[in-house]
Amino acid sequence: PSHSYTGQGGQQSEDYESEEQLQHRILTAALEFVPEHGWTAEAIAEGAKTLGLSVAAAGMFHSDGSELILHFVSECNSKLSELLQKEQKLVQLGEAEKKPIDEFLRDAVEARLRMLIPYIEKWPQALSILLLPRNIPSSLNLLTSMIDDIWHYAGDQSTDFSWYTRRAVLTGIYNTTELVMMQDSSPGFEDTWRFLENRVADAMAMSSTASQVQSTGEAVVQGLMGAAVTVSKAETSRAVR
Amino acid sequence: MAAAAGPSVRCWLWQRRPLLCGPGPRPVPGGGAPLRPCSTRGAQRGIHKPVIDRIIRVDHAGEFGANRIYAGQMAVLGRSGVGPVIQQMWNQEKEHLKKFNELMVAYRVRPTVLLPFWNVAGFVLGAGSALLGKKGAMACTVAVEESISEHYNNQIRTLIEEDPEKYKELLQVIKQFRDEEQEHHDIGLEHDAEATPAYSVLKTAIQLGCKAAIFLSERI
Repeated sequence: PSHSYTGQGGQQSEDYESEEQLQHRILTAALEFVPEHGWTAEAIAEGAKTLGLSVAAAGMFHSDGSELILHFVSECNSKLSELLQKEQKLVQLGEAEKKPIDEFLRDAVEARLRMLIPYIEKWPQALSILLLPRNIPSSLNLLTSMIDDIWHYAGDQSTDFSWYTRRAVLTGIYNTTELVMMQDSSPGFEDTWRFLENRVADAMAMSSTASQVQSTGEAVVQGLMGAAVTVSKAETSRAVR
Repeated sequence: MAAAAGPSVRCWLWQRRPLLCGPGPRPVPGGGAPLRPCSTRGAQRGIHKPVIDRIIRVDHAGEFGANRIYAGQMAVLGRSGVGPVIQQMWNQEKEHLKKFNELMVAYRVRPTVLLPFWNVAGFVLGAGSALLGKKGAMACTVAVEESISEHYNNQIRTLIEEDPEKYKELLQVIKQFRDEEQEHHDIGLEHDAEATPAYSVLKTAIQLGCKAAIFLSERI
């Protein structure tokens, strides 16, 4: 349960706000100052100032800006979910075509990575902070739920081990594309989107190869079983003679 | 959940914790986005996601394993006198697995990582018990179905304690499946399961294995 700042008499007034909500507001306001100050306590302090709070409010957070980065990632993920949900509604209402899987995955990852563009200068710094042991549980949690969201809206209904392989593959695609984007200086990040397209195509090819291997394997096994039965019958009939 | 002032504050916004996902009206000045990181998953149902997750994951694994056990038994005893009995029980397990596949997609539950392992282990258990003869296969059935019935009963208790109204559909499914597993257990007894040599040893060993499988599948 959240603690709220209650008014007199312990009654909650209409504009009560919990501490989490306050932190949420400060961090959202702080994002505006990230391009200038980076993911730091300074950005948080500036954000607090715009809300009319004292810069000491930044003391509520870690000095390395971890919460700010995690907040940003969480917000981006929510925005992506809303976007995918809206698209899904349009398809359900028949107002849009259902995209083929590779196009869907490509568009979803591109949409999510585009949210980094305003902060791209300082994003490498953010990535390294997200990899701190202290932050890994949270950042991993956010990453896995985002990838799961994308697959859910792509229509994945697997209930076997491929549930894991699909998510692992997409995570790999997302992470590598993100790294490529950090070093991309082409206009409009076209090199990154081309890289993304190739990786998604690779993944599709890999999955079709995997199913081909499986059906070939099954055919080989059947062939061997048939051969074994034939041989054993031949042996039995020779033994009888 | 106290958030102490100072650098050691742990913002709950993204920490992994059992959240009661659901639409919660919270007046926020200036209007804010919902703070729940799990709002995209199951929020529309107002369910206690971690509990339901576990239940569906372990039940799915259980039905998957049961399918493989019967497949193993059929591979050995399929053409014997007891084949049709096993086939009929297997068909019911297939229905159960289908249902849990649907529930898994509907509630967006992750399947257990150990599925490939249960695939092999189930088949080996089924085939191994069937190699002990018809009675051995029935003994295996009795042991497994008893474990599963008990396990379903525990889940029914848990769900009823949580909120019988909210989980009415799930409760109905589990109750029906529990009754059918109980039937399988009785069929096994009818077919001389208890006459198997070393019946109690076999039964205890299998039930221990089931308990371990349930424990692991709930968590990983």
